[in-house]
Amino acid sequence: MKTITTRVVTALGGLLLAGAAQAEEGKLYLFNWTEYMDPAIIQAFEEKYDVEVVQNYFNSLPEMFAKLNTGGASQYDIIVPSNYYVPRLIETGLVQKLDKSKIPNFDNIMDQFKDTDYDPNSDYTAAYQYGVTGIVYNAETFPDAPKSWSLLFDPEVNPGRPFGLMGDGQVSMGAACAYLGHGYTCTDPDAWKEAAKLLLDTKQRANFSGFVDGTPALQQLARGVTHVSLSYNGDYLFYKEENPDSFANIEFMIPDEGTEIWVDSMMIPSGAPNPELAHKFINFILDPEIGAQLSNYNYYSSPNEAAKPYLEAVLTQPPVTPSDADLERLSFTPSLQGDKLQMFNQLWTEVQSR
Amino acid sequence: MRKRTLNRGLAGFWWLTLIFLYLPLAIVVLFSFNSTNSAANFTSFSLRWYHRLLGNEQIISAFYNSLVLACVSSIVALVIGCLIGYGMYRHRHRKLGWLIVLIYLPIVLPDIVFGISEMAFFVQFNRLTGLLEPGLGTMIIAHVTFQIPFVALIVYSRFVGLDPSLFEAAKDLYASPFKRALHFLLPTLKPALISAFFLSFTLSIDDFVISFFTAGPESATLPIYIWGAIKKGVSPEINAIATLMIGAVALAAILSLLFNRQGRR
Amino acid sequence: MANTQLVTRRHAVVSETRHLLFSVMPGALWIFIFLVLPSLYLMAVAFMTNGSYGLPELPLSLDAFKQLAGFGFLGWSPGNLYTLLRSLWQTLVSTALVVVVAYPIAYYITTCRAKLRPLMLLAVVVPSWTNQVIRAFGWMNLLAPGTPLSDAAQALGLIGDYMGLYPSNFAVTLGLVYNFLPFMVLPLYAAFEKLDVAQVQAAQDLYASPMRAFWHAVFPQTLPGLLAGTVLVAIPAFGMYVIPELLGGGKGMMLGNLVANQFAGGSNWPLGAAGALLMLLATFVGLFAMRRIGKRLGGGEEVVI
Repeated sequence: MKTITTRVVTALGGLLLAGAAQAEEGKLYLFNWTEYMDPAIIQAFEEKYDVEVVQNYFNSLPEMFAKLNTGGASQYDIIVPSNYYVPRLIETGLVQKLDKSKIPNFDNIMDQFKDTDYDPNSDYTAAYQYGVTGIVYNAETFPDAPKSWSLLFDPEVNPGRPFGLMGDGQVSMGAACAYLGHGYTCTDPDAWKEAAKLLLDTKQRANFSGFVDGTPALQQLARGVTHVSLSYNGDYLFYKEENPDSFANIEFMIPDEGTEIWVDSMMIPSGAPNPELAHKFINFILDPEIGAQLSNYNYYSSPNEAAKPYLEAVLTQPPVTPSDADLERLSFTPSLQGDKLQMFNQLWTEVQSR
Repeated sequence: MRKRTLNRGLAGFWWLTLIFLYLPLAIVVLFSFNSTNSAANFTSFSLRWYHRLLGNEQIISAFYNSLVLACVSSIVALVIGCLIGYGMYRHRHRKLGWLIVLIYLPIVLPDIVFGISEMAFFVQFNRLTGLLEPGLGTMIIAHVTFQIPFVALIVYSRFVGLDPSLFEAAKDLYASPFKRALHFLLPTLKPALISAFFLSFTLSIDDFVISFFTAGPESATLPIYIWGAIKKGVSPEINAIATLMIGAVALAAILSLLFNRQGRR
Repeated sequence: MANTQLVTRRHAVVSETRHLLFSVMPGALWIFIFLVLPSLYLMAVAFMTNGSYGLPELPLSLDAFKQLAGFGFLGWSPGNLYTLLRSLWQTLVSTALVVVVAYPIAYYITTCRAKLRPLMLLAVVVPSWTNQVIRAFGWMNLLAPGTPLSDAAQALGLIGDYMGLYPSNFAVTLGLVYNFLPFMVLPLYAAFEKLDVAQVQAAQDLYASPMRAFWHAVFPQTLPGLLAGTVLVAIPAFGMYVIPELLGGGKGMMLGNLVANQFAGGSNWPLGAAGALLMLLATFVGLFAMRRIGKRLGGGEEVVI
């Protein structure tokens, strides 16, 4: 009897240790958006430094943030969050400062993406890609689609076709704000309440299909589950290229009322198992040719000034690089904190649950 | 006459229910062979989604994780649960109410509450001690926790079904408790142990929620991978993986049928 | 003489206790450390304050429960109440539907040849061996817009043109019924198999109408199985997370999703913990009620749990 007990105790101890010994040398843990990295780049990095890259994916920023909060901060070496999640990552101590001396290529980043509002002095972030969130729709169903959020929010413009909204609350809320004339970046409580009410009314419409993240929204569109939804310009082009038949009628549009422009940045979590390698990875991605290869693969604009000569023509024109007229209508999603964030979360939970 | 119509009605209802039960699975299998990415139209037969699976390292590692998780957790749960089952039987005349409550707790707890408490606990524990990082280790612990009760109950009910005088006979026959365990307890328990192991294994494979909340970066299981793929919106490949899993289940069903038949003979 | 006997007896008691400890303790400790402690910790979290980014912080407070009840920055709002009522409603409807389907099925199996029965039971159980994510995915494929079922529903005017049966609350109900049907069939079958036929025949002689014979002779005898099945179906259905998340779209949120979102969406751990506590409470109240009803109706110890 005793021997079995001892064995069980040993096994238990083994389990405890197994958890601690998980991080290995020579491995880079990359936590990235889905469909956002050229496999060839990963392979090149692996060969250059003789390491293994383990990739994990997220579909939305809340999901990424939650994972980091529940142990991920000491399990990933690189994360790629969007601008408006950067301040809360810094404030909660989930990320560490970058050592610029280990990233000589840092200077390649365009000036507009250095020393930003969300990360003054660029202590924590190195820009990865930037892009636009817009409306994606089936042009066969909506041949004369207005360049407006009314395609989603006005029941008269779309009386009967199924449609989806963005799963990330701040984007859907911003879209509703923009449609109501408060601007995409509204954070005023009254404007928010009005927007939440619009979202609730919109949800009650019989043809509302659900809240969906940006990447799957495109697949739903291609399969006819929805006819209009929200997604990102790069993913749109990526899928269109990959599967021209299914995406033949799918169009991308920047509504006149304004929408989101975002920057995703590489950051190193506070407890990263291998920060040394993480710095090497950031430097690798910021290399001009690799930076261009990345954009050429996933159709997002490159924040890398030095990469410009290597970019394909497609990338220098709309919808990848927004026109000047479009740029005026684009804005960063505001970073929320403190009571504002709590209030927003309550409103969003309300929208989801009714 | 009336009875016959009733029976006919029931038979019809039975077949309808079977269709209801198997249609969703059949659709998944059918469309895994579809040559185009469509859920509505079957275009033509093709194996392209299976070819894609073969090259996908993540799926292979997810498959491996599922297997390791199910095997290790089932074995650990078998040992611990067996001990409890035996203890419960030996001391069934004592007041063991607290033990019964403890054993039923993992069974009645909704799995979302189960998963979240484990996650919150592991995170806090890891913060304080640095041990138990989310990963295969924490998943195994969580799975063992919900498997123990089932093993214990199966073993216990096997003991209850035995003739008590057998124990006396065994006591006379083998002097040392160790020998007694080896030559008497284990052989008599064998069928119960086998079915307990299979039940634990199935429970582990079937679980998604608890795994989802206790997983780490390298420990995604097949269901977690499929969940991620659904969330990401790629369908045809999911059909193919799901078909492989359904195939495994069908195989298990046939095996259990054969096993049962042999047991009865 | 008597003294030594006492000593040996005491010795025996001590060794029995030691035996009990050695056999039961590893498992009991395991469940205590890895389930009871975590649950207690979760309960503690429910009484903490929500930090600015969703993690629990001191001081202790009842804010999470206030929020769960709907009191927030904006005064009272009914969102969480909707979620709770929807969960209760879905549980009720799906459990009722499961009973309606499982009852005749379980009975039919008992009327078949003894050799066929294990095979039939297996046929009912096998789909539940596949993972619940896969099963929900199967229904996503079956009910999407453009599929024959959705087209039929459109033709009947049940849903709008171009719409699918998924995502919807209906799809969630269907998914729940599909998921939990075997859990009801098995205990009901066990009850039917034990049915005292003599009693039924006596009742048939006694009462003219078959309805009354059924009600007085058959139904009470199957009640323990029915109650056990209800426990096995209703409790997990009430806390369901996967099915509403995949099949419900934006309109089918249930309590399990509310709880999970607070953790997996990283917004408010204390609120999520409070929701989990409510779920636990409902579970135990449900179990207690079932037990009471079972005892009163004479099911007695046969009722599981």
